[in-house]
Amino acid sequence: MSLMKLGLVRGLIGQAVGTLIGLVLVTLLRAAFGANPAWLPEPAWVAGAIIGGIGFMYGVGSLDDWIKWMRGIPTPLRHGPPPSQPAWTRYFGVDYNHKIIGIQYGVTGLLMLIVGGSFALIFRTELVRPGLQFLDSNTYNTIMSLHGWTALMSVLLAVGGMSNYLVPLMVGAEDMAFPRLNAFAYWVNVPAIILLLTSLFFGWDGGWTVYPPLSVIGSMGFQFVFYGIFFLGLSSILGSINIIVTMLRMRPPGMSLFRMPIFCWAVLATSFLQMTATQFIGMSFLMLSWQRLLGMGFFDPAKGGTPILFQHTFWFYSHPAVYIFVLPGLGIISEILPVFARKPLFGYRWVALSSVAIAMVGFIVWGHHMFVSGYAEYLRVPFMISTLLVAVPTGVKFFSWLGTLWGGRLTFPTPMLFVLGAISVFLLGGLSGPILGTVASDMPLTDTYFVLGHFHATLFGGYVFPFIAAIYYWYPKITGRMYNETMGKVHFWIMTPAFWMMSLGQMTIGVMGMRRRIADYDPTLHVEFGHLIITIAGFAIAFGILLMIYNLLHSLDVGKVAGNNPWRSRSPEWQIPSPVPEHSYAMPISVVGEPYDYGLANSTYIQMGGGHAVAHAGDD
Amino acid sequence: MPKSASDKRHFLIIAALIVISTVVLYFLLDKMLPLPAQGSDEALVIDGLIKSHLVVIAFLFSLVGVFMIYALVVFRKREGDESEGEHFEGNTVLEIVWTVVPLIFVVFFAFYGINALAQVTHSEPNEFEVKAEGQQWSWDFVYPNGVVSPELVLPVNKRIHVTLHSKDVLHDFWIPEMRVKQDLVPGQDTQIRFTPILTGDFKVRCAELCGRNHYSMETPVHIMQQADYEKWMSDQEAAQLSGGSSTITDTANITGTANISGTTGVSGTTSVTNTINVTDTSK
Repeated sequence: MSLMKLGLVRGLIGQAVGTLIGLVLVTLLRAAFGANPAWLPEPAWVAGAIIGGIGFMYGVGSLDDWIKWMRGIPTPLRHGPPPSQPAWTRYFGVDYNHKIIGIQYGVTGLLMLIVGGSFALIFRTELVRPGLQFLDSNTYNTIMSLHGWTALMSVLLAVGGMSNYLVPLMVGAEDMAFPRLNAFAYWVNVPAIILLLTSLFFGWDGGWTVYPPLSVIGSMGFQFVFYGIFFLGLSSILGSINIIVTMLRMRPPGMSLFRMPIFCWAVLATSFLQMTATQFIGMSFLMLSWQRLLGMGFFDPAKGGTPILFQHTFWFYSHPAVYIFVLPGLGIISEILPVFARKPLFGYRWVALSSVAIAMVGFIVWGHHMFVSGYAEYLRVPFMISTLLVAVPTGVKFFSWLGTLWGGRLTFPTPMLFVLGAISVFLLGGLSGPILGTVASDMPLTDTYFVLGHFHATLFGGYVFPFIAAIYYWYPKITGRMYNETMGKVHFWIMTPAFWMMSLGQMTIGVMGMRRRIADYDPTLHVEFGHLIITIAGFAIAFGILLMIYNLLHSLDVGKVAGNNPWRSRSPEWQIPSPVPEHSYAMPISVVGEPYDYGLANSTYIQMGGGHAVAHAGDD
Repeated sequence: MPKSASDKRHFLIIAALIVISTVVLYFLLDKMLPLPAQGSDEALVIDGLIKSHLVVIAFLFSLVGVFMIYALVVFRKREGDESEGEHFEGNTVLEIVWTVVPLIFVVFFAFYGINALAQVTHSEPNEFEVKAEGQQWSWDFVYPNGVVSPELVLPVNKRIHVTLHSKDVLHDFWIPEMRVKQDLVPGQDTQIRFTPILTGDFKVRCAELCGRNHYSMETPVHIMQQADYEKWMSDQEAAQLSGGSSTITDTANITGTANISGTTGVSGTTSVTNTINVTDTSK
């Protein structure tokens, strides 16, 4: 089989060709207009980045059907693997099946988690001793900044993976509302990743927040970050539109919004955030790019701009983004707990609406990242109050989880362990929040390792742990086989204590005066031991993740056959064969009861075939 | 052990465990988060606020943690028990309680937080004025009489008002022992105030990423008695203002003061290099 048959390979070639076209185009234009020198790296590379991205999308084949539409050529949806090619090639090219796209997202998310984690291990090793050992400060800053964006990219990809794979299955839909758009939204992440990682070779030292003026005067790597994140944002917006339409228009008869599996509520709230907030980071990154390129003075005080404006636009996305990162994970927790407690989810409607409430409050708290930024002082007070308010809906979730556990018949297979681990870690992240939310106590803690500990706990509790729980939980549905339970438990018992050590260690040295984002630290702070502990814990977490990956790959062949419903779940996706067939549901389903009525005799949630007419299936 | 989910004995046991856990946890948190020396009035206010947060954190952590661990133990599935969990779907009264109670905490901390903020940032007449200029990757401190120093020398027990000015990118003025922190923003001057109450040697540490050598953008701070401060200042005036010595404004890294020990004031000039291993001037 020729490699050229893989969409990914054609896409990469397309990106290389597009980049080259961009470089040549700008140079020729400059030469034609007599600019001296004709070869100016930054504008050439920016044009290369943009045209290269388009080249990838063309090469991979994501635009093919749309181009055919324009030419009036019919484009029937193809099902199953490409003709005369092995089945695995589906994952390396454009495929419209949401289950394939979900796996593509999820695996790419896991890969980026490994890349981002590896960056962290590199600079964690450097930090074990004071003094610069094997990294110079420029390299340190670049790797530290890249760690941030690769890790966040991993979150967005994994969120896309979970929602793509699960939402259509959970609402009994044949596929997403717009399959071609879905494939486009996944594939545009790949040039984004390539651009982001390319920045490593040009260097950039702004941290993931890329505040100007540093990001405007710094080296050219920044431009690759700006356009990488721009493509990533495009994926978020298009993906979320697809999810919202699927959820609102393609549910089966009988499934009112309050009868959706609870994960769908979390994804619905998340998608509205993604659809409405992502534009701000795209815009602010373009403004930075153009200030560098064209001398536009958006954030330049000498030209009437202000650096603080950038911080507003940046956090107007990036704070809601925190909830984009954690709401799906909290949805996973709420989804999995009832199954292993054999009890209804406590207060379904409250849990569902708390996601919406968090999403809404999330829009008016961005200023708490800027308490010491130099914006008007009176602004600190309203942002402090709105920030504290987030505690209320978050509390509702915690208490509802406790209510769900209470009186259950609890079992503890690996997914349940990771869900409980997620609750404990997210509790640590959540409770270390209000202390940063009141301005005066934020002052000594902001920009220190305390903040680092806080948001790593939030993101591990709200993303990493639930994502891992979801992987173990749906692995039998995806592959048809069980993972190795012992190895899963070992993974949990390594990773959870290690994470606690890491996060608490970060908070401790932060309080002692360890600043964020420094390549080297003052030995008189006496934080060396803390750094050693954090580094050891970081390596332990990495080992746990590798163990999981070995487990997942190994069990593909030797895992015991899972059957349709090893967890005895009521959710629709567990009532069909594992792995899920090409056409998920052999016949349309209908909903006749509540999703989480575990322990209620003779209650059912869904019926296959149902007696009802299928109202929505034809609409799309 | 009671088995039924609604048995009152569960809640009595849990209440007792929560009380114990809260006390133990507060003690642990306090040990685990060793704040630097309280060098200013602001540190007293801020540490008070932090401690009251820690009380609430200890309580809430115990509340959720004890309930969770208790439930995991008591409601675990027993060998051979194939029954499902008890069927209840929610409780509106409980939901309202755990929405309203956190709201009370929110109101309390909002009120406390506003007061603490006002105390920390208040201004007074006759403040001690100094200007801090940050640039990649060093500090200059300009006194109202024109004296410029690469190290910050301040009298104790005076309300200090620092006007912060950045010459290039964002920086952040932070002396951990004073607690307060403020960004320097190019194009606009920002303000920070504090009242030192401890004499001794500290460091200003830049807390906003500012490029390659951000990590080493630190410089000594000396808080001293008024008389010592005046002696230091008159030495500086003699050196800088009368003789027209221009070394300080011309060179970047800087002939300035070092080796201040207690009350003896200044002795000589030492070159302060831009590394983290600035000569440790503590006694």
